[in-house]
Amino acid sequence: MSLILQDIGRRVGRKWILRHLQLEVANGECLALLGPSGCGKSTTLRLIAGLDLADEGSILIDGQDVSKVAAVDRRIGMVFQSYALFPHLTVAANLCLGLRVRGISAAEQQHRVASVLALMQLEEFADRRPAQLSGGQRQRVALARALLRDPLVYLLDEPMSNLDAQLREDLRPELRRLILNGNQPVVYVTHDQHEAMAMADRIAVLRDGQLEQIGTPQELYLKPSTIFVASFIGRPQINLLPAQSGIVTAIRPEDVHLSEEGISCRIIDIEWLGTSQLCLLDSPKGKLRMLCNSQIKIPENVKVKWSSEKEHHFNSESGHRIN
Amino acid sequence: MIRTRNIWIIALLIWSLSPLFWQVYTSFCSPESLIQPLSNSGHRWTLDNYRQVLTADPPFWRYLLNSAIVGISSTSLTLLLAIPAAYSLSRIPAKLARLVKLLMLGAALFPYVLLFLALLELARSFNLGNNLLALSFPYAALSMPLAVLLLASAFKDLPVDLEEAAKLEGLGLWQRLRWVLIPLVGPATASTSILVFLFSWNEYPIALTWLSRSDLLTLPVAIARIAGTSVYSIPYGPYAAATVLGALPLLALVMIFQRQIVSGLTQGAVKG
Ligand SMILES: Nc1ncnc2c1ncn2[C@@H]1O[C@H](COP(=O)(O)OP(=O)(O)OP(=O)(O)O)[C@@H](O)[C@H]1O
Ligand SMILES: [Mg+2]
Repeated sequence: MSLILQDIGRRVGRKWILRHLQLEVANGECLALLGPSGCGKSTTLRLIAGLDLADEGSILIDGQDVSKVAAVDRRIGMVFQSYALFPHLTVAANLCLGLRVRGISAAEQQHRVASVLALMQLEEFADRRPAQLSGGQRQRVALARALLRDPLVYLLDEPMSNLDAQLREDLRPELRRLILNGNQPVVYVTHDQHEAMAMADRIAVLRDGQLEQIGTPQELYLKPSTIFVASFIGRPQINLLPAQSGIVTAIRPEDVHLSEEGISCRIIDIEWLGTSQLCLLDSPKGKLRMLCNSQIKIPENVKVKWSSEKEHHFNSESGHRIN
Repeated sequence: MIRTRNIWIIALLIWSLSPLFWQVYTSFCSPESLIQPLSNSGHRWTLDNYRQVLTADPPFWRYLLNSAIVGISSTSLTLLLAIPAAYSLSRIPAKLARLVKLLMLGAALFPYVLLFLALLELARSFNLGNNLLALSFPYAALSMPLAVLLLASAFKDLPVDLEEAAKLEGLGLWQRLRWVLIPLVGPATASTSILVFLFSWNEYPIALTWLSRSDLLTLPVAIARIAGTSVYSIPYGPYAAATVLGALPLLALVMIFQRQIVSGLTQGAVKG
């Protein structure tokens, strides 16, 4: 493991905004930090980068405890949510600055910048200022800067959040190719569960500064360990049935099927999604979401069922999974 | 709407520029025509005033040079001290920063004329009299509060991300200041410099008391001397010519820096 967070915590005033966080990320592995706004994702990245110091626990990079090392000396390649390109410098100068202060010879600077510009298909923008670039181009410059840092760890803070949906989809494979196939651990922050599943090898779900669950996308989807994770991962959202004797039953919309016999329901609303359609049902157990093939013609009153092994059960008090 | 706004602007321009125009007009008038403004004698317009001022002993450009030396040295000294101070002020905890700013504001509002006796005493004991460069000590000190406050708010307004990105790129504190922060507060630095330069260009009481050798005088003192050369008459013409000559460099300076002052350099720094 080349990035290890050992029980780190961060306090602001008397309040802990991050507590007891344990993470390990291997070389070449991409870990997505996923969670709602304000859950501590950016805080975690800032601790790893050294922009803030942890109030407890320690951070190990390549086996070395860097908890006390200043950000300047940590060799972190970070893409900020805002990109944070230097507005007074051209693209080429933005990329050169770090190399120059790190004492790399002028010829070598030229060479490296030119090759990264070529890699990112940014050659024609070398002499432009950040203000003269589109969002996608800025993102590529920010990425290029992180690549040139030759870092021990890559940190990406919602690198796509300023881009439109189309561009995001286009950039995803590119991003994977450039960074995720490298030999460094990558921590990828996002609040988009779809993006997390697409990009990451493992996902860590955070909630209120605490780790809720960590695992591969499949594990999180198939065996969510809490109600929170179950409703956060997977779209359309999982159905939570009303608690019965302290147990909440959850069933994914895609596991609910039309059938000859079963729970009789009335259709309230249908959302057409292309290959599938999302039906909102009024059932004796409350509102239900059902995902089915869009070819099917759905009558007003239907009967639905699901196989019991697709059900997830949670303790209604603690929200934890019951096996 | 637009008409009334235009009228306001014109009124404002007349209000603020008419004394200047009067001064320029006076500087080209012969003494006779000044006394009898309505007489239509043939030699109304003259360059005599300028000739007189420029050929006096020491010639007028000497004072311009003195003032420029004092202005440049006090501006440089101010910036040299104010930039690091302002940076620190923008980075310390908010409560402490507010206290420091309050104290500085107090210092900035203090009528400095009350200090000039004490300053004179200092000049005497440290042997700083009749030394142009030494004049930049009191000038920089007096300009410091305002300069620090202006620059600190400029540093504060920069997106924090930029400095953090620079940190992760491996730039140490001085490198960050040199390559990222100072260039980005350029417009604020330009306007601060102009204010400091203006102050030292116009400053009278300290210059009057610290300098006595006639070849070392700064403009305001020199101009005042022209006005007081004779007990019997006030030489309006040369006096006006000296004022005009003294104002020209300032005008040029503001013209040159105008673009830097208004340019929005941080545009596009953060997101789209
Ligand atoms: N300097 C600070 N002072 C006080 N509270 C802070 C500070 N920094 C962060 N917090 C709080 O810590 C919590 C976590 O913040 P953080 O920025 O890590 O959230 P996030 O998960 O990145 O959210 P988002 O998705 O909106 O970016 C928030 O509730 C925030 O208000
Ligand atoms: Mg964030």
